[in-house]
Amino acid sequence: MKFQRVIIYCFFLFFTVSCADDQCNLETDALLKTEFVIKDQNLISINFLDSLSVFSPEWTDSIHYWKEKDGINLLYSLSPAEDFSEIIITSKKASLNDTLFIYYQREFLMLSPECGFVVNYTIDSVLSTSNYIDSLFIITPAINTLKNGHIQIYF
Amino acid sequence: MAISKYIFSLLLIINTFVSFAQDEELYVQEKPKDTLRFYGFKLGVNIWRFADFQFKPERFSYEASFDFNIGHKYFGVIEGGHSEINLDKENFNYTSNGNFLKLGLDYNMLKKQPTDFLGAGLRFGWTGFKHSADQVSINDEHWGSYSTAISEKKYTMYWLEVSMGIKGEIFKNIYLGWAAIAKVRVSGGKDALFQPYDIPGFGNGKNSINLGINYYIYYQIPFNRK
Repeated sequence: MKFQRVIIYCFFLFFTVSCADDQCNLETDALLKTEFVIKDQNLISINFLDSLSVFSPEWTDSIHYWKEKDGINLLYSLSPAEDFSEIIITSKKASLNDTLFIYYQREFLMLSPECGFVVNYTIDSVLSTSNYIDSLFIITPAINTLKNGHIQIYF
Repeated sequence: MAISKYIFSLLLIINTFVSFAQDEELYVQEKPKDTLRFYGFKLGVNIWRFADFQFKPERFSYEASFDFNIGHKYFGVIEGGHSEINLDKENFNYTSNGNFLKLGLDYNMLKKQPTDFLGAGLRFGWTGFKHSADQVSINDEHWGSYSTAISEKKYTMYWLEVSMGIKGEIFKNIYLGWAAIAKVRVSGGKDALFQPYDIPGFGNGKNSINLGINYYIYYQIPFNRK
């Protein structure tokens, strides 16, 4: 009697194998969140943030800021082809730009057969020009598909 | 989905343990004799891996086991196998292959049940494997398309494995059995630049702990059996 039970359980166990579909159902973007904090009264008075955007010389487009409850943030990816990215911060309300030089290590990871390869990053350092930037801090250096990286820039 | 699969499987196994435990009560009155006596060998094949191949044809793997019975209470176990992954996709090609070996011991909790097993096991696992990728294409909204190849890399890895399982003799000298397994990485198998996707015998290369199921069919070599 016991052995029949074994066989029946074995039969049910086979049904627990799930069939995988061919779609990628996982998050594939590894993004860096850049938080802007304005302390300079001159920049506040000219509404510096209202027309803030970032771009890289290698891009054909740019990203404009949006305001969230917890601050002013921009999300973008780093270059998967090189170990550093050059990001330019610009505002229509200001005559000069600032440039970030983000240095990092890349890790190639096959997420799944359906999703293919993604790149995870670990930020080593961030340098910048200082036309308007006062200071910057790396809050979360690790960037992967489950968690965004985070840097904070003070103007 | 994967978690619910494991929970469902574990519930089934727990249910089985309870059922066996009830059967076991019938036997506890008699003291076991010759606890260190040698009672023979079993050869086994992990048929779960063949089922896996049906659902994931990019994988090919096999695993066999050899155990020796000491007093129906302790079983020395040697398990070994081979695993390959060959993925030829639009955005990448990935290949991985390697061998693994596990040494350990099973402890039978049945007091007197000479042909069956209900118990726990401990294994120490080793694997040597290699992997590589080419024609890897990564597309980014802003940075555009980037293609690269990652040359072959070799690794060695060690892990510990604990299991709970059952084996039942369904026909003379033929056993079916399965076990729920937790595997814990001890060392190796990590790469800061190119993370292994699947580690032979261990599973997902991203994780330090992997859960799994073994599902074996065994042949008991007739030896010292009444």
